[in-house]
Amino acid sequence: MKRLLLVAAMLALPAVVRAQDNVLHIYNWNDYIAPETVARFEKQCNCKVKQSYYSDNEELLAKLAAGAKGYDILVPTSNYVLGMAKAGWLQPLDKSRLPNLGNILPAYMNTPFDPGNKYSVPYAYTITMLGYNERKIKELGLTIDSWSAIFEPRILEKLKGRITVLDSQSELMAAALKYLGYSVNDRDPKHWEQAKQVILEAKPYWAAFKASGYIEQLAAGNIWLVHGYSSDIYLADQGAQEAKQPFRIRHALPREGAVLALDAMVIHKSAPRPDLAHQFINFMLDGKNSVDLTNMIGSGNPNGAALAHIKPEIKAMSAIFPDAETAKKLEMLKDMTSRERRTMNRIWTEIKAR
Amino acid sequence: MREKTPPGIVQEAASVPVKAPARLPASPGGRLARWLVSGPPLLYLAVFFAIPTLIMVLASFRFPGDFGGLAPIFYEDETGRHLDLTLENYSRFFSDFLYTELFIKSFAYAALTTLVCLLIAYPLAMLIARSPKKQRDLLVLLVILPFWSNFLIRVYAWMIILGPNSVFLGAFNRVLGVFGLEPVTLLYTPFAVVVGLVYVHLPFMVLPLYANLEKHDPALLDAAQDLGANAWNRFWRVTWPLSLPGVFAGAALVFIPAFGIFAIPDILGGTSGIMIGNVIKQQFLDTRDWPFGSVLSIVLTVTAVALAGLAAAFARRSRL
Amino acid sequence: MRRSPWLWAAAIGAFLFLYLPLVIVVVYSFNDSVMNAQWVGFTFDWYRKLFANEEMLMAARNSLVIGLVVSAVSTLLGTMAGYAMHRYKLRVLPFLVLAPIAIPEILMGVSLLIFFVAINLTLGLVSIALAHIAFCIGFVAIVVRARLAGMDESLVEAARDLGATPLQAFRLVTLPLIMPGVIAGALMAFTLSIDDFVITYFTAGAGAMTLPLVIYTMVKITVTPEVNAVSTILMLVTLVLIVVAMRLSPGALRAGEEK
Repeated sequence: MKRLLLVAAMLALPAVVRAQDNVLHIYNWNDYIAPETVARFEKQCNCKVKQSYYSDNEELLAKLAAGAKGYDILVPTSNYVLGMAKAGWLQPLDKSRLPNLGNILPAYMNTPFDPGNKYSVPYAYTITMLGYNERKIKELGLTIDSWSAIFEPRILEKLKGRITVLDSQSELMAAALKYLGYSVNDRDPKHWEQAKQVILEAKPYWAAFKASGYIEQLAAGNIWLVHGYSSDIYLADQGAQEAKQPFRIRHALPREGAVLALDAMVIHKSAPRPDLAHQFINFMLDGKNSVDLTNMIGSGNPNGAALAHIKPEIKAMSAIFPDAETAKKLEMLKDMTSRERRTMNRIWTEIKAR
Repeated sequence: MREKTPPGIVQEAASVPVKAPARLPASPGGRLARWLVSGPPLLYLAVFFAIPTLIMVLASFRFPGDFGGLAPIFYEDETGRHLDLTLENYSRFFSDFLYTELFIKSFAYAALTTLVCLLIAYPLAMLIARSPKKQRDLLVLLVILPFWSNFLIRVYAWMIILGPNSVFLGAFNRVLGVFGLEPVTLLYTPFAVVVGLVYVHLPFMVLPLYANLEKHDPALLDAAQDLGANAWNRFWRVTWPLSLPGVFAGAALVFIPAFGIFAIPDILGGTSGIMIGNVIKQQFLDTRDWPFGSVLSIVLTVTAVALAGLAAAFARRSRL
Repeated sequence: MRRSPWLWAAAIGAFLFLYLPLVIVVVYSFNDSVMNAQWVGFTFDWYRKLFANEEMLMAARNSLVIGLVVSAVSTLLGTMAGYAMHRYKLRVLPFLVLAPIAIPEILMGVSLLIFFVAINLTLGLVSIALAHIAFCIGFVAIVVRARLAGMDESLVEAARDLGATPLQAFRLVTLPLIMPGVIAGALMAFTLSIDDFVITYFTAGAGAMTLPLVIYTMVKITVTPEVNAVSTILMLVTLVLIVVAMRLSPGALRAGEEK
């Protein structure tokens, strides 16, 4: 038996061990780069791209904190860049090798998380908002344009059991804080307590906390209203149309404002191939390459040169490409201290355990 | 006479194989054999489990780092270098009942899962053990085969089965309707969590039970039958006591992993579905609080191993 | 053979429970929709896409190789541990066998990663396999021990009296008797290994992908039926491998004793 297992293993081994010297290692979210973009880059650099994946910034951070190495490019959300740079995990960019950097719209450059873009280059963004089943919401006579849709019992009564909210302490607390009229980065414990009360009152009406899987439920018509990421809501609509559902899924950017997550490319301190990494970043800064992802998953695009190539139906979505007035109400989450995170997690555990 | 004899005889028959194994004499050769057999697994587990885990046990006395990981073990101020260790992570656990509450809830879920797994697995394992030799392997493979597909995909399949639009739920609700009962929702409820927990752990109950039941000598049952024991007595007085080591092994392999699981409540659970495993996961993958995560993990591990030890001691005593 | 109708009914019920989700997994691999949510129409597209998806196929192969190696090594070590726990009064080993099953996977993953970095081991398929073996040993040991419990020692003693060395006595008498337990342990180890995500995530190196790593990170967006397709194929390939193994050495998967 054991011999047979080893034979089987050996049969498979030669295929696994295949030396590749000219490799760029990208550590990214899954499905967060279009396959044709990768193919184009491999052709241009005459190298091979190997990707590893994470599904959350914290997963990436935990792995780096434990000392993992071997990656060239990482794609964290920009509020994580500050901490990663302070922890000494990143290397400064050589701007002379990034002639396309000027393509990024000024609004997305020079964020407080990376003054002067010493370490990071914007990649794509999502906005945390509401997504809903247009037909059902119309039938119920509701209008979805505010966070009250997921927090106010009067509205929730009609939607009981048909709502999911994000399974993320920072995102859900941010939404509740916005609903109460505070900043998403408010650190006042009294305001946190108020936000907790808002969440606890609304919780009985929600079906579940979901960080994933809500796209399918929305597209299948099981769930009618979600608190989720803009690109996911776009995909849910694609799925509903593909399944020839009698309804569409629509975006709603709450009028109180929302969280904007700007993902950025950075180079790991011990990157084996910083040369390829710079080449890749510059390649992705080309509007024609950057636009592929937007057209694939409906992500927001900070690249000015890409805007002209975006599919018209995506470009027209004001929730993903908001006007200047609305854009002012969007905030990026700031990192907390370990004490603040502890307090927040105590609140979160209580919310989820009750 | 008829009522009294079978248990006595049967117990005698049963007690022979359950006898404690003869210990080898402590001759030099015996001691060498002991080290040759227990040495390699001991060494492996010491290197690839005990040493790495000690790092995290130490971490439970440290402070969390701002960017994940741990704060430096020394801090410096004007008076010099200080060792920065704390009991705060432990006192946080013991002073806040919320976490103990979640442990109790997880215990209840895991215990229920173990019981349901046992009820489903026992007849299945018994049937396989009593099948002709040629069919046994095939049946065992059939039990494990579904678990070679991916975990996530199987749980997603349950979401479809339990979801509000599924034919299964529709049929179930029509049956309820016949009895004049309100239709129910199943997805995102504690029921869904238990179904998921039972499903993913079931083979770990079936296989140990099968491995144990397979060796039972049919002659014992024949003897009991000849002595007039009915089917229930034959099961309760012969098969069940003999299968206890298998039951305990299966219970350990279901209860212990189910106690600390987070994926099932995450995917199938509703707004109050979390177990202690979810809180532990949050400490590492949400809050960057490795020290508190270590404290919770240590409490979980010690509780689970202690429960297993108690069960084993109880089993030994009840057999004597 | 005492297989009463009641036993049959209960066992068939259990099989229905086991296979209901599997039917969904397989059926949805032919679903003409990117989402695993509801039936849209029949298509072979996902299989076509899968066979063009080098990354996913490589990940599946890695999973299979790691699973086979892990189940072989952990069955060997686990059988030794189970036998030792049965035969001798040990204190440390039973704890070391149980604790990896009890400890939260995340803690084990993080600590192994710190350990591997500290000893300067390059992360890759080897580090994944080393980690998997550590938590699989316990499962094998516990099953083997449950099989050994109450085993008749007189056979072993008889063999020893007839002049067999301890090793011969083990190989010729004990091993055949405990074989079903060993097989059950090997199957469990394989199952745990090909399905593990958390520990694999932390111990995998750059570019070393296993199937669960690809699939779990897909959840963020959506798990496409391509995953159902690859699961279906992996299941079939494994089944074929094992059935071939059974054919090649008849009795290898079975208890040696004749009743």
